[in-house]
Amino acid sequence: MGDFAISRKAKFFDGCKKGIPITFGYVPMGIGYAAIAMKAGFTPLQTISMSFLVYAGAGQIIAASMALSGATLMAIILTNFVVNLRYFVMSTCVLNKIEDSNIPLNILAAHVTVDESFAMFSLSEDSSIWIYLGIAITAWLSWCLGAAIGVFTLNLLPVIVTNSFNISLYALFVAILIPAIKENRQIALLVLITAVLNIILSQFLGNWSLIVSTLVGAGIGMYIVDDEYLLSGDD
Amino acid sequence: MDYISLVILGCAVVTFIPRLIPALFVDKINFSPKFEKFLNLIPYTALAALICPGVLTVDSQLWYIGLIGAVVAAGLAWKKVPMGAIVILTVVVLITVYSIVPFF
Repeated sequence: MGDFAISRKAKFFDGCKKGIPITFGYVPMGIGYAAIAMKAGFTPLQTISMSFLVYAGAGQIIAASMALSGATLMAIILTNFVVNLRYFVMSTCVLNKIEDSNIPLNILAAHVTVDESFAMFSLSEDSSIWIYLGIAITAWLSWCLGAAIGVFTLNLLPVIVTNSFNISLYALFVAILIPAIKENRQIALLVLITAVLNIILSQFLGNWSLIVSTLVGAGIGMYIVDDEYLLSGDD
Repeated sequence: MDYISLVILGCAVVTFIPRLIPALFVDKINFSPKFEKFLNLIPYTALAALICPGVLTVDSQLWYIGLIGAVVAAGLAWKKVPMGAIVILTVVVLITVYSIVPFF
């Protein structure tokens, strides 16, 4: 029993170590999110609690930008639902792989599932829940830390620095997409089609174009991307 | 409750539900391969739609700021620079650009 507890702890800290590279991206990104949220009128507490409760990089930035542009509550929530629907797939893959778990731990694991924790765990040989929680909780807390740093330092930083942080999330999006584009021309074509589609639709649909373009794009992808090129998630 | 608190609460609920369902029913979920493919494509199309044209509004006055950032990030990613370094270097490049802009 004692040995078991020790190995759980060891695995958790092993996971934390694996999660450290994620924090290098999440802290600056969290500061970037805080900059937009504060501009949209979020209080410091609201800014930090959104990172804690929602925990969705792109989703939060979109919600804050939409709030800034005065979008309706319904449009913001629906857009968030669609943008974050991918976590359903990731959560399913993670929980299929996890061993030695139970329902309460599964629920915690589900909440801290994001693109990066999912990707890192998929590459991990050890499929213990404790490794996963180590990776994912480290990432989660660094995202909240970034928001907190942003909230308390943004007023002290020069405007050109805070403006520059606005790019951090886009830099991360690009960094995630480029390897897939580089490896697979069909994905590259799909990305191009969806980008053009969204540029056109955003002229007519405003905030709704993001949802429509994402879904229509994925629908088009069904026909232009071969099955074997997709990350299936089961390794 | 104010508008922003409702935004946070609403987003928290709709983001948590898709994550939670597999935690409760992980053994019982079985998608058709077609639906799975559709779901797997969403990250790519969502990212594409998030970047274009949103990246051009990073600075509401200077559209090319976002474009420069995206090109720098893409170049670094192409060269397989680690993700955290891409984010930091792109921010640093933009700080430099902002310092130069007033001279033109």
